[in-house]
Amino acid sequence: MDTQNYTLFEDYLNGTLTENEKISFESNLKNNTIFNEEFNTYKELSGFLEHKFQYEDASAAFQNNLTTISNKHFEKLKTPKRIIKFKTWQFAIAASLLLFFGIQYFSPSSPSYNDFTSYDTISLVLRDSGNKLLTNAEVAFNAKNFIKAEQYFSQLLETDVNNNELKLYKAFSQIELNQFNEADTTLSILSKGNSVYKNKATWYLALSKLKQKEYAACITVLKTIDAEADDYKKAKKLLKKLE
Amino acid sequence: MSRKKIHEDQKYIDGLLQNNSFIIQAIYDKFAPKVINYIKSNSGDADRAQDVIQETLVVIYNQASEKKLQLTCPFDAYFFLLCKRKWLNKLKKTSLKEVTINEEVLSKDDDAEQLAIESSIFEDKQALFNKMFQKLGAACKDLLKATFKIKSMEEVASTLGISYAYARKKKSQCIGKLTKLVQESPMFNQLKNEL
Repeated sequence: MDTQNYTLFEDYLNGTLTENEKISFESNLKNNTIFNEEFNTYKELSGFLEHKFQYEDASAAFQNNLTTISNKHFEKLKTPKRIIKFKTWQFAIAASLLLFFGIQYFSPSSPSYNDFTSYDTISLVLRDSGNKLLTNAEVAFNAKNFIKAEQYFSQLLETDVNNNELKLYKAFSQIELNQFNEADTTLSILSKGNSVYKNKATWYLALSKLKQKEYAACITVLKTIDAEADDYKKAKKLLKKLE
Repeated sequence: MSRKKIHEDQKYIDGLLQNNSFIIQAIYDKFAPKVINYIKSNSGDADRAQDVIQETLVVIYNQASEKKLQLTCPFDAYFFLLCKRKWLNKLKKTSLKEVTINEEVLSKDDDAEQLAIESSIFEDKQALFNKMFQKLGAACKDLLKATFKIKSMEEVASTLGISYAYARKKKSQCIGKLTKLVQESPMFNQLKNEL
């Protein structure tokens, strides 16, 4: 194939051919299989190169983040579980303790917020991203220092006002700090939106109501949780206890 | 192109594309265990499973980013099939010892099967394109890199100290050279037949 064709390919892709040239080019595409195959490969390679270089940074950031999350996930799996061997008399003590606490545990009582809340560690920071504030927020949240975490998330949101992920974590922190009004407003908006955080926000809105002992409101929110949500099972369990 | 309905699990694909830590963690929590079990019961271990899962997620990310991947089946089925294909390929490549494959009954999902095949081919093509790109001369590599990173050809020309007309001509010639290298490789024809 002579190099003239490649110039034509490029001009066609850039839309710089004249109307007549375009018609002749397209007729060639239809009638000449070799020309057609070569053009399609050229086009595919252009797309490949564009993606490779234009999104190089985003792709590297994704891979770094993925590695961090993957390592964390597999570290948990690879940590061997400790097995404690009991002697017979230790069994007897353990069994009676179990019986004692068992009776206490099964006494009827209202479900509590703490029984249902669990925060996985979060990972907001991309390696070498140099965002100190984001690192601080992540560290504070993971250490359950919600006072600091709430402050950092607020600061981050000043410049990144539409970041739903940050809004969600800020609301979690506020529930922990009993700042229910603002938390509930944020979670309500997120739960009605279409973001990927919709289900998480609904579940935490229910937990906020639970912590405030607003059981009726909690039930109403729980009933709106999508069957596909990650927390659906927990939501059903809580609903059963409340109803 | 098919006009099938996009599955709601598209949220996982979009989440990956947005580099959303929350979604990536959810994928690991929800979908990784099945893959790990499969690899462990088929001559692998947790380390190998970690690699397979990570490489698979990179493929999905790239395909979503470059080809606007649209999911028409549950993520679970698609992701599992893709990891499984990758693991079986790795086993075939090394095949140091006799491997035992404990096939489990899969939900027969043709959409998932089809999407997994497309993603596998996409991955092989990317590997081929990258390999062929490395075969280009330094001048072509630099020019293409600059062209697609900077976008404005005027700027590319001035950065590389060449004329605008020459930069444009050279760009099409370099992609042309790459096209030729790719078309001539036996791997490319093999991939064409798989589709």
